[in-house]
Amino acid sequence: MTTTETIDLSTKLGRLSLANPILTASGTFGYAREMASIVDLTKLGGILPKTITRDPRPGNAPWRTVETSAGLLNAIGLDNDGVDYFLANHWPYLKSIGSPVIVSIAGKSQEDFVYLAQRMNEAEGLAALELNVSCPNVSGGVDFGTDPRSCFDVVSGVRNAISCPLLTKLTPNVTSIAAIAKAAADAGTDAVSCVNTVLGMAIDWRKRRALLGNKVGGLSGPAIKPVALRCVYQVASQVNIPIVGIGGIATVDDCMEFFIAGASAVQIGTANYYDPQVSTRLIDHLPDAIRSLGARSLQEIVGTLQ
Amino acid sequence: MPHYACNAQFQTCRIIENLQIADDTFRIRIESQAIARETLPGQFVMLRIHGCNDPLIGRAFALYDRYTEDHAQWQGIDLVYLVKGKFTQALSRLSEDDLVAMNGPLGNTFSVAPVDHLVMAVGGVGQTPMLAVGREALGSQKFGNEVDELIDGEQTLSRNGYAKKVTLLYGARTAGRLAGIQDFRNAGFDVRLATDDGSIGEPKPVTDLLLDLLEVAPATESIRIVCCGPEPMMAAVSAIAKEKNISCEVSLETPMACGIGICFSCVAKIRQTDGQWDYQRTCVEGPIFDSAKLVW
Ligand SMILES: Cc1cc2nc3c(=O)[nH]c(=O)nc-3n(C[C@H](O)[C@H](O)[C@H](O)COP(=O)(O)OP(=O)(O)OC[C@H]3O[C@@H](n4cnc5c(N)ncnc54)[C@H](O)[C@@H]3O)c2cc1C
Ligand SMILES: Cc1cc2nc3c(=O)[nH]c(=O)nc-3n(C[C@H](O)[C@H](O)[C@H](O)COP(=O)(O)O)c2cc1C
Ligand code: FES
Repeated sequence: MTTTETIDLSTKLGRLSLANPILTASGTFGYAREMASIVDLTKLGGILPKTITRDPRPGNAPWRTVETSAGLLNAIGLDNDGVDYFLANHWPYLKSIGSPVIVSIAGKSQEDFVYLAQRMNEAEGLAALELNVSCPNVSGGVDFGTDPRSCFDVVSGVRNAISCPLLTKLTPNVTSIAAIAKAAADAGTDAVSCVNTVLGMAIDWRKRRALLGNKVGGLSGPAIKPVALRCVYQVASQVNIPIVGIGGIATVDDCMEFFIAGASAVQIGTANYYDPQVSTRLIDHLPDAIRSLGARSLQEIVGTLQ
Repeated sequence: MPHYACNAQFQTCRIIENLQIADDTFRIRIESQAIARETLPGQFVMLRIHGCNDPLIGRAFALYDRYTEDHAQWQGIDLVYLVKGKFTQALSRLSEDDLVAMNGPLGNTFSVAPVDHLVMAVGGVGQTPMLAVGREALGSQKFGNEVDELIDGEQTLSRNGYAKKVTLLYGARTAGRLAGIQDFRNAGFDVRLATDDGSIGEPKPVTDLLLDLLEVAPATESIRIVCCGPEPMMAAVSAIAKEKNISCEVSLETPMACGIGICFSCVAKIRQTDGQWDYQRTCVEGPIFDSAKLVW
């Protein structure tokens, strides 16, 4: 094998085929337009705009983010203008980019999820939906990601309502993430995204106050990578479903660890904030890393932990 | 809709010097021709320590000044920072030739509508944007890449600015914390100081300086206030501006995680045309807002 041989980065998440496995995580890439002058959006394997809800939500009171050791705590509270506004104002731009756009939706009830899925049927060019059943900042949302039965119901409800591929985004804040992944798989999700943020808190002891306006929030960034990697590994070894790894990914080494653990793709989150061009750089450097294992494609290395 | 951060450059840059200029206060000089060329007064950059994951995310710093050694082109920018927590402590330990990651210029700018008297009310470390703001107002420096005309040090006056007179009202906890006074005086601002502890002049807040100034201001003189500092101080200045019917812009220092509009952490309550408020992102819709639109 010569070192110039091209490496096949393409990947499949159930019915969804992607040119490469590097996606940008929901809530960490705005609505992509903000990044247009900074990142070559057409290179990305996929783009996930910020989660949308049925009605507009103002989001939580500040402070909404606090930095902790090698991590970031957030409690944004799904600040968004609702699905109508999204379809009218963000979708025309998103669909014009040319990269697969996976829209993240969240609801307080199964009806909300189904309603949002039906509305997204109007969105011509939609690559897939990601069901955010795991946002820690909204009461209601997290329950679908912590109870296998309700997770099954939501995923199958949406699956019946829309024909496009589905990703289900899971929370690590459970005893057995594999049990939830199994429920989502049984209900027909094309892949599971592991993971959303890890519940956490920061306190100013002098003022005896929580630093986040919402008091508790979700931890992300390099600090949570070991947790996310463990989740991917556990799901991969117990459930037969494609996995999208998320959590603290910022380098090629990070990506490779997730692929070996069983992820078919990864999403880049917090790293977009401090290194906005990270995703396209990873796409450029992945082939060398895959080649160094003697492989010619991403598919050959996924889930090859020994 | 605008393309946010459309002039922003994301670069790894060399530190030229990092000098203590007052108690707990440093001025850092960072090489970047591109950012120096593009930046406008009131804008900010996001700064990180190159290759360092703890502190992880960038911190926002207002443009203080630009520098040139060859007097042919702007070679980089100066920032002034107060050592406060994790990031600024780590930054204060860096020296010449160390690397930082810098993203900028970011954010909007103050209004440049003509006015007789631009009054800059600042507290804490809020003086930092005002050197560039006042210079542009007086017309002693031009900013932005459409102007290639360069300035030889402080001497050359290029063209008319937008204000006839600039006053800096600067409040600090104590005299040792006042940073950059000489720079402001050299730039031709009328500088008036106040300290909480009376280590310079009477112990009084910066709002008293503002009230003193407004009391004797000629009725024929048009005034605009620009303000940056701790939130309670900005709220108090805004209240005075409202009462006296003077236009006032404030630069908010809300905690930011990205600086480019993608995280929604930097929000402030902004009054909409229908009278309701909505959270807006200070990094892209601000950091500068008309104080009448802010819900404090
Ligand atoms: C547009 C903009 C321009 C700025 N310009 C400057 C500047 O020119 N010079 C300068 O020194 N700083 C400036 N700041 C503030 C700066 O970005 C950092 O917040 C500050 O340096 C603290 O960072 P740190 O890591 O050292 O402290 P941290 O460890 O983050 O915090 C230290 C302490 O301050 C508190 N704190 C942190 N952030 C804030 C905040 N935003 N408001 C109130 N309390 C806070 C924390 O709770 C903690 O108690 C600016 C901020 C913004 C948004
Ligand atoms: C400020 C912030 C906002 C987020 N908003 C969302 C969101 O709206 N929807 C969602 O599914 N995940 C959201 N997330 C979670 C990320 O998509 C990602 O799952 C998580 O941050 C872990 O990845 P990371 O460590 O690479 O950031 C958010 C994360 C952060 C830090
Ligand atoms: S700091 Fe991220 S949106 Fe403003």
